[in-house]
Amino acid sequence: MRAGTAFFAGLGSAAIIAVGWQAGVGTLVSSLPQSQAAASGTTTTAASGTAGTGADEWGNVPTDPLTTPAADAPAAPAAATGGVTNGTFDGAVINTRYGAQQVQVVVAGGKLTDVVVLQTQTADRKSQQISSRANPILREEALTAQSAKIANVSGATYTSQSYMQSLQSALDAAGFTG
Amino acid sequence: MPSSRTERRSPATPARAVAIKRGYKARLRRGDLLETIVYFSVAIVLALFLADGGATYFLNIKDVTTGLGIVTGLVGSDLLLVMLVLAARIPVIDRTFGHDKALALHRKLGKPVLYLILAHMLLLMIGYGIAQGLNPLAEAIDMIVNQQDMSIAFISMGLLILVVVTSLVIVRKKLSYEFWYVVHLLSYAAVLLALPHQFTQGSMFAEGTWARGYWMALYAGALAAITIYRVIIPVASSLRHDLRVSEVVVEAPGVVSITMRGRNLEVLRAQGGQFFNWRFWNARMWWDAHPYSLSAHPDGRSLRITVRDLGAGSSRLLQLTPGTRVSFEGPYGLFTDEARTTTKAVFVGAGIGITPIRALLEGSDLAPHEATVILRGSDDTDVYLWQETYDLCVEKAASLRVLVGHRPRGINTWLSAEAYGKGETLLSLAPQIKESDLYICGPTPWTELVIRDAQRLGLKEHQIHAERFDF
Repeated sequence: MRAGTAFFAGLGSAAIIAVGWQAGVGTLVSSLPQSQAAASGTTTTAASGTAGTGADEWGNVPTDPLTTPAADAPAAPAAATGGVTNGTFDGAVINTRYGAQQVQVVVAGGKLTDVVVLQTQTADRKSQQISSRANPILREEALTAQSAKIANVSGATYTSQSYMQSLQSALDAAGFTG
Repeated sequence: MPSSRTERRSPATPARAVAIKRGYKARLRRGDLLETIVYFSVAIVLALFLADGGATYFLNIKDVTTGLGIVTGLVGSDLLLVMLVLAARIPVIDRTFGHDKALALHRKLGKPVLYLILAHMLLLMIGYGIAQGLNPLAEAIDMIVNQQDMSIAFISMGLLILVVVTSLVIVRKKLSYEFWYVVHLLSYAAVLLALPHQFTQGSMFAEGTWARGYWMALYAGALAAITIYRVIIPVASSLRHDLRVSEVVVEAPGVVSITMRGRNLEVLRAQGGQFFNWRFWNARMWWDAHPYSLSAHPDGRSLRITVRDLGAGSSRLLQLTPGTRVSFEGPYGLFTDEARTTTKAVFVGAGIGITPIRALLEGSDLAPHEATVILRGSDDTDVYLWQETYDLCVEKAASLRVLVGHRPRGINTWLSAEAYGKGETLLSLAPQIKESDLYICGPTPWTELVIRDAQRLGLKEHQIHAERFDF
């Protein structure tokens, strides 16, 4: 390669990378600690069943270590309807490479009325993005299916699998069979 | 083009010099463009990584390993595809750099690419291990057992190591060509087995992203190029031309010329100095293809090769019978008149290395007294095709110098002892060499010595064209 072309190839490559940087810089800034608080409040999964707890941007409810219930333990059991216990139930904590996933279900009138994400994959920024995209979709699917037997969200295998497992354990705890 | 060449064959006119210069410049531009594309492909990969928020991996120590693991995997995959494209025998690459230079670059990339992909695997074993609280080995086992497509990705890694290691060993001639070839086919399996995990595990390729589209296009393009140029075109071309052995002539003990005839051979536009991969369809040879250079400039009706008994495959050629069907891949190579940069030329050949030299001389656009041919043989049986070459030199008014006999003991030279003793040098044998294109074909160590002398005379890299007989 001639020197002139090498110069332009280098310059062009730098320009391409700069465009990529520019496109990604928004993500970078929003993931810096000081801007994290400002970015919250966009959640769609801040659920009715957990009034009083603030969910962050990934539908991630900060858990108090003292009151975190053991897996499968009914958190607030209420009246039973046909084998199904109404109330709020926490699912098992499912560990994955990208972090742990745990959901909470709200059962009312014998129906699954809400799924709240207690913790989700946040091992790195990428996982956070994937989880925040997948969790609302998985919630909708679960509420529609009234079951933990739902489809994977493409590109979010870990989140999907761990979501379903945690959801299933929570539904088991509620004696919920769908 | 062969047809226009005959029209241009006139004494050194400025127009002819301009045409050669123009061809050379066009080739340089094409080369620069192709190389720039490679640099850009790496830049785009990095840009897509950054656009997708990749920089966030480098904000804290814990994620840096994962980030580096992803970057090495992306760049490694991109360069692996570049390697495939370099070996795909795409005509524009062959006509711009030559098949041998493309393969030299392919070989040069082998080790770095393996290291990048090894780093990708190890860094992610560590990085994901940290995230999941597992040691790297336990993490690897977890990936293989639990993660979609990861088991085949690990198999792919193993294949890639095998391919690169056998290639490095073959360079030291410890393995047979056939064994190396079969193992090398596994590299395609390695690429295909690694593909699923990039889409199911790599969040980079999540649906609906630019990265996914870009990578799918890269893979589709590389695999299409290989399928078209290494499979479809050779098969179609072999069927279409229906090439058959027409004549087998023994040139000297262990040296045989094979002439083949077929339909419409002129559309191949083969040139003197090029080679094909040949496969002779008889019971003993059909499973094995060999690269041999043409030993005559194609006349449109026949192709001729001249082969010396170098190995198992070559000796069987002596027993070929007329009518044997021949399939081929080619023509390949830029050891041709197209590689010219000036009007004058010097051709240097040793032993069986004369074959492309003789064909090239025949097909070259040369005005009288512009060419010098230097032939070397270790004894007076090592002088195949010399009569034909002599006749061509007479026809083209080229000067011919012959160097016969062993080389001087203890002296590192490409000359015969006799010529060396007389004080001959590359410059004394070919006085016009400094303003000529130099074509060399012979055993590799001998070729290197000629190149050394040429460089000492101040010849530029673009003036030196060497055909190497390795794969």
